[in-house]
Amino acid sequence: MNYYEFINPTKLCSGKGALDNLAYELEMLGACRPMVLSDAMLEKLGTLRQVTEALGEMQIGRVFTDIPRDSGVEVVNRIAREYRDFDCDALVALGGGSVLDTAKGVRLLIAQGADDLLELQGCECIPRGREVPFVAIPTTAGTGSEATAVAVIKNHARNVKMEFISQQLLPDVAILDPRMTLTLPPRITASTGMDTLCHAIEAYSCMQKNPLSDAYATAAVRLVGENLMRVVRFGASKEARTAMANASFLAGAAFSNSMVGVVHANGHALGGVCHIAHGDAMNILLPAGMIFNRRVCRDTYAELLLYLAGPEVYHNTPAAKRADRMIAEVVRLRGRLHRMTGLPVTLKEAGADPALFPEVAKTALNDGAVIVNPRQVTYEAVMRILEACYEGKEPQQGQTPSGKKKAKKRSI
Amino acid sequence: MKKELLNHVNALVLAVLYRSLRVLYRDDSRVREEIDGWKNNLSFKLVCGPGGAVLALRRSEHAGVRKLQRAQRAEITMRFKSVEGAFQVLSGQKSIADAYAEHLFTLEGDIYQTMSFVRVVEYAEAYLFPRIWSRRILREVPEKQTGSLRVYAEALLEHAR
Ligand SMILES: [Fe+2]
Repeated sequence: MNYYEFINPTKLCSGKGALDNLAYELEMLGACRPMVLSDAMLEKLGTLRQVTEALGEMQIGRVFTDIPRDSGVEVVNRIAREYRDFDCDALVALGGGSVLDTAKGVRLLIAQGADDLLELQGCECIPRGREVPFVAIPTTAGTGSEATAVAVIKNHARNVKMEFISQQLLPDVAILDPRMTLTLPPRITASTGMDTLCHAIEAYSCMQKNPLSDAYATAAVRLVGENLMRVVRFGASKEARTAMANASFLAGAAFSNSMVGVVHANGHALGGVCHIAHGDAMNILLPAGMIFNRRVCRDTYAELLLYLAGPEVYHNTPAAKRADRMIAEVVRLRGRLHRMTGLPVTLKEAGADPALFPEVAKTALNDGAVIVNPRQVTYEAVMRILEACYEGKEPQQGQTPSGKKKAKKRSI
Repeated sequence: MKKELLNHVNALVLAVLYRSLRVLYRDDSRVREEIDGWKNNLSFKLVCGPGGAVLALRRSEHAGVRKLQRAQRAEITMRFKSVEGAFQVLSGQKSIADAYAEHLFTLEGDIYQTMSFVRVVEYAEAYLFPRIWSRRILREVPEKQTGSLRVYAEALLEHAR
């Protein structure tokens, strides 16, 4: 790469007691009447209350919790209207990817003085607008949305997901507090953790990779390797929860500056067409996507083995076999998560209808993530990946973690 | 190279690109299928840097694409940040994917619909650039369904029509 750009101006407050600084951080941003965005589930679980309590004496302009999992343009437009009506001066978003992406859309609308998000679609084309202090508090360790310049918001009228890419979407502050993810059930912890791993691996291997995104991606892979199994087994471990939240932020910052690839393109399409949860789709598709890219990513995958499996495995694996071993380690991690939480490893288990695969493939080809995938993504290639993942053929390819050949190598 | 000269080259390549898209709509089934997938009258603009050359087109039911007035607003605009950046792509030194990776352009409008436009331009590049050239910039060079010389020749005639 001759030229690259990297941006991550978000202040990170991470670890024990991070949430306690919320009021201070807002004050430093010049805010005194924030709007709090969240969802009904977090309100019910009492997580939202912890946040409103952390605001202390600060006056809350409005609390909005009517954000669905599949948030859309209409919700964003409505929240922006309420923000103005209730005279708010900052945004605090508490939730998973949907809430954070919704908040990003609202921020864009308010900052640009616009009424409809549809006017602001695009990539890197929005100038800085009005200051709208924005604090993101993720409640899953997965999407990394608190560190990305990307928002995916559904246009329900046209039944398509719209992508917004702009540095104006980046929060001013991200608060990673282990208390926010402690109640996450093991299955969702596993699914969102695999999303993080996927962000890091794709960020490290796509065409837009650069020295800074590489540093973030490798740090994220190491944290996932060391903590994902632990956090699924011991969900109450604040240390493991913090580590995974850090991994999610790091991987988010990595892919925000380097993009993702074919796994995400297919995953977004499976989400849109077959309604498969994003993390589940990542978990199912990741090895197949890596096998597809292996031809041009041998060296990068080989390097990642050190971070995922540790120095001992790395040094004991012959250089020529490290890429395959890396894929095998991902498959092994996936297998362990499957046994512990029942996380699906095939599209069949996830309930995808193979009759819809042609539609999924067409949708995937129009996803921005294919543009910098290291290998050209074609309709036929996507179909082969989907078919391989339907009954889980790909784990038999390559090598097992013990280094023994299980089956003849085949390329997707 | 002077900016003015780069602007002239960019304008020339855009003219060839536009005509070849019309030719390929007839002669290449994949290009036709992509363009037929665009909604009618969907408009694109390719702006080659501030004050630079502009290709403005819209989908037309029978001809594939037709010119759009430069002043008309397009639903999708790819805007190169500099004349030099646009030149690197239009002269075949960089692919659109490279240009995206290096943040050479911005995009206003729907990213999903733009991907089809990008594929169409990549098909055209396979015809317009020598194979050795396109192999250097494209991850995979699409098979040609007709000869490059024929596309150039028809593109010249296209001008006369
Ligand atoms: Fe993801």
